[in-house]
Amino acid sequence: MLLSLAIWFQNTALCALVRDWPLAYPIILTLHLIFISLFATTILATDLRLLGWGLRKYSISDIVDQLRVPKRIGFVLVVTCGLLTLGSKAEEYYYNPYLRVKFLLLALVGVHALVFRGSVYNKAAELDVLAEPPLRAKLAAGLSLLLWLGIAIMGRSAGYVYPPAGTHHFATLFDSAFMPSLFL
Amino acid sequence: MLIDNPLNSELAFPIIECFHIVGFAVAIGSIALVDLRLLGVGLRRQSAADLIRDTGLWVVVSLAISVFAGLLLYSTDPDKYYLNTPFVVKMICLVLAIVFNYTIHRKVIGAGISSGLGKLVACLSLALWASVICGGMLVSFTAV
Repeated sequence: MLLSLAIWFQNTALCALVRDWPLAYPIILTLHLIFISLFATTILATDLRLLGWGLRKYSISDIVDQLRVPKRIGFVLVVTCGLLTLGSKAEEYYYNPYLRVKFLLLALVGVHALVFRGSVYNKAAELDVLAEPPLRAKLAAGLSLLLWLGIAIMGRSAGYVYPPAGTHHFATLFDSAFMPSLFL
Repeated sequence: MLIDNPLNSELAFPIIECFHIVGFAVAIGSIALVDLRLLGVGLRRQSAADLIRDTGLWVVVSLAISVFAGLLLYSTDPDKYYLNTPFVVKMICLVLAIVFNYTIHRKVIGAGISSGLGKLVACLSLALWASVICGGMLVSFTAV
């Protein structure tokens, strides 16, 4: 069922455009990386402050509240580029084990938000008065960093896999130059 | 050096590449924190001078890790990278970006600046680092 969804997605007009226009895929992937760097900034600053490891001169509410909107904007930008690159070869990516782990981790990020947003990220003012961030805040921040790190690593590892024989392999202009598969 | 090079083991390259990527994500992220502040986005209640002082250590350490990992990655196949145009562009932009970051960027921010000049410096810095990322991305897309 997921496979047919992937095939439907890659055949939509927008994804077909990404696939057919030779420079689209590298450009969008590069934008994905650039937005990741900006997004990672906000995540890093927020979580390092919650762990008490960095930017200690500033209060928690200063950092968390000011970065909330940039975090969301960054997330939307990253996900948009990611969906476009995914859609250009969705059927091929369906078989990629690293992308499966990556999306599992993204789902866990959603769970993390449900669990910790109300008690930690939205309560930054209450955390200010404490001398040290409480255990719950540190747990939230630590888990968040680990999850996002895993997502980044899985995303890079996904580029190392060639599709299995017999599936549609859409050759964009640059595909033949990919590094040889190490994990097939 | 290429004979019996332990870095040719199948898993070594991806692992070192992870250090490279995390390293530059932290480094460029910390630099971007300051640049975005100059552009009026993000941590607006703090001054850029404060931010650059507080993120300085993070930038140095993560940049060092990233460059060292990058050198290791390069050593696995020097000829391929040397002949790769995007890689050469990336290296030029990297040198420019690092030099810019520790000279003009730092001086302009430390001295207290007009917002117009600050925006220009921030845009230039972000553009240089973005070029480094682009170059790195395109390396894997071009055969030579």
